[in-house]
Amino acid sequence: MPEIGRMLPNEKPEHPYVIFSYGGSMYKNFATRFCSGCGYGIIGHIFTRLFEDEKLDPHLYPTIIGIGCYSQMLLLVHAKSQKILALHGRAPAVATGIKMANPNMKPIIFSGDGDCLGIGGNHFIHVCRRNLDCVIFIFNNSIYAMTGGQGAPTTLYGATSSTTPYKMFENRSDGVQLALAAGATYVARTTVAHPRTYIKYFKKALNHKGTSVIEVITPCVTYFGRKNLDNLGAEYIGLEGKKMDTGGKMIDWIKRNTVRINQAKFMSEEELFNKYVIGEFRYQPDKPEYSEEYAKIQKIAMKEE
Amino acid sequence: MNIGNGKRFLPEGRHLMMGNVAMAEGALSSGLKFFGGYPITPSTEVIEHLAVRLPQVGGICMQMEDELASINSVIGASLVGAKSMTATSGPGLSLMVETISMAANLEVPFVFCDVQRNGPGTGFVTEPHHNDIGLVRFSGNGEFQVIALAPMTCQELFDLTITAFNYAETYRCPVYILSDAYLGHLHEIVNIPPKEEIRKRVIDRELPPPDQFVKKFTYKDDITGEFVIPRPPQMGTDYCPVLFLHQPHNYEGLPTPKPMQFMKAIMDKINKNKDKICITEKYKLDDADIVIIAYGLPVRSSYRAVDIARKENIKVGIFRLVTVWPFPDKQVKEVVKDARAVIVPELNYTGYIAEQVERVTKLGTPVIKIPKVCEFHHPDDILNVIREVAK
Repeated sequence: MPEIGRMLPNEKPEHPYVIFSYGGSMYKNFATRFCSGCGYGIIGHIFTRLFEDEKLDPHLYPTIIGIGCYSQMLLLVHAKSQKILALHGRAPAVATGIKMANPNMKPIIFSGDGDCLGIGGNHFIHVCRRNLDCVIFIFNNSIYAMTGGQGAPTTLYGATSSTTPYKMFENRSDGVQLALAAGATYVARTTVAHPRTYIKYFKKALNHKGTSVIEVITPCVTYFGRKNLDNLGAEYIGLEGKKMDTGGKMIDWIKRNTVRINQAKFMSEEELFNKYVIGEFRYQPDKPEYSEEYAKIQKIAMKEE
Repeated sequence: MNIGNGKRFLPEGRHLMMGNVAMAEGALSSGLKFFGGYPITPSTEVIEHLAVRLPQVGGICMQMEDELASINSVIGASLVGAKSMTATSGPGLSLMVETISMAANLEVPFVFCDVQRNGPGTGFVTEPHHNDIGLVRFSGNGEFQVIALAPMTCQELFDLTITAFNYAETYRCPVYILSDAYLGHLHEIVNIPPKEEIRKRVIDRELPPPDQFVKKFTYKDDITGEFVIPRPPQMGTDYCPVLFLHQPHNYEGLPTPKPMQFMKAIMDKINKNKDKICITEKYKLDDADIVIIAYGLPVRSSYRAVDIARKENIKVGIFRLVTVWPFPDKQVKEVVKDARAVIVPELNYTGYIAEQVERVTKLGTPVIKIPKVCEFHHPDDILNVIREVAK
């Protein structure tokens, strides 16, 4: 078995930005490990494209990746960006160390719903509270997909998963509301069905000094779509649902199940139940940032000496 | 990334210091830049002292939200090229082990001060108890080697912390300082050497010459057969792997389907260098037929016990382990070769080191444990055992 991730001698990369390939492995010439219909391809593509178009310095924009399906993205996203695979849920803590030890850097954190709102909830809250200069992506596919479709803190009410075989009865955790309460200064939610909005928010987050939290709703066909009906989030109408067993059907469902923030203001709580509200929730560019505040403390301490 | 200004050094001379403070000052002298901690009795003085001192020298002291975050931020800072450390006690250590295992895989250098306290569970929080000796060696999932140093005075807390940072830079594995609740709160005179002398002792975090940028992780040199440990990679420079992936990896940091090769690299980089790592001390051992093997605080009581016993013409000596892990098999085997009996006073009930000593002594040589929990060995406790053995 030759080494994974190495090019074979006569092999060419499938994409100019991607140096890795699965050449020599059982997935020969297989550009991605993601299932068909997965949204992470779109996310990885947007990240790589923006990294190149914005001419980001790979030395100053390290990528910290949590554990989940999106961990595979580290082989897909921009080759030159320096990447760390952090432990499950600990990516915001690693980013804190990186940012503080080298304040010129701006860490970009990839995390999922289980990673950021489940096991790493505490780190997520406190990085938002400190307003540390970083970008946090929460990729929300409302399921633990890598381990085989277990229920997540974000699983919609009534959905089926392998640990909630009858139906999900727990309350849903909302990453955006949590970030708002914790004090993040740029909070937005978008979906992979709205890639242009996603690019717009990402660009804004890169130019924002402070914690930017962007939740991205992404489809998981294999473990969420196949097991659930597309009337989730619209039960009150009494629709008869169909299985969401292809990527297209899930994208359709995501589009149907999202509400813009200015539209949501006029909707009742019952109508918003199990729906995703998308848009920009907060933008406070003038709030003090943690590493800058710490530099002030250092100045005070040095003068006292 | 090294802290250049001279404020990190204390003025030369004698200082009265608490153990935890002496350790913090030792860390500052060796160029500590990032400290991530979480308050826990009895290690709280470390973070309290560094919160004052680190901003003065341009470093960062952060009180994180929990122990998991503090060790992860330490790893993050170390990856960027800052010398970093954390301090905690037993319950904190047991939270941190998952990240220590990850750091061992990625060969991230950092120093870990474990101010041990009574357990299991919460225990008596201000009582000394060397009960993490086994945990530090076998912490975390997976197999990896650690280095653990056991000081016994405040002076040594200062000196050995510098040594610990040098070990971390050289061997790129988790390095522990095994203090305890008693030693951490002991006030003693510490002799601070002049700045120049400390600077000579410290190994700074530096990048290798650009022609050596390819190999970033430990590998076995095909020609000499030795394990080469390159300087730690730094993010934000060209000397950084494309990805820090904690899977079996080759010297470039890319995943390799040869886990055995990788396992050999991270285990044998310590095993093969044991002679360089292990620090031991001998006291009146030349003609001794009863050997006391100890580390940390019980050594101090043993000195007194041996002095009294020598007056009674009992031939007894002390073999002190300054480096507890890796266990110096060869040296201990040499010492206990002709011994009539081996006495191991330890501040715990299990006798973690006594078990290791039993492993290397000949069958038939009695290894006598003197367990103590939450209290100091009185010299008489050891003396009584010596007298009984000598009969």
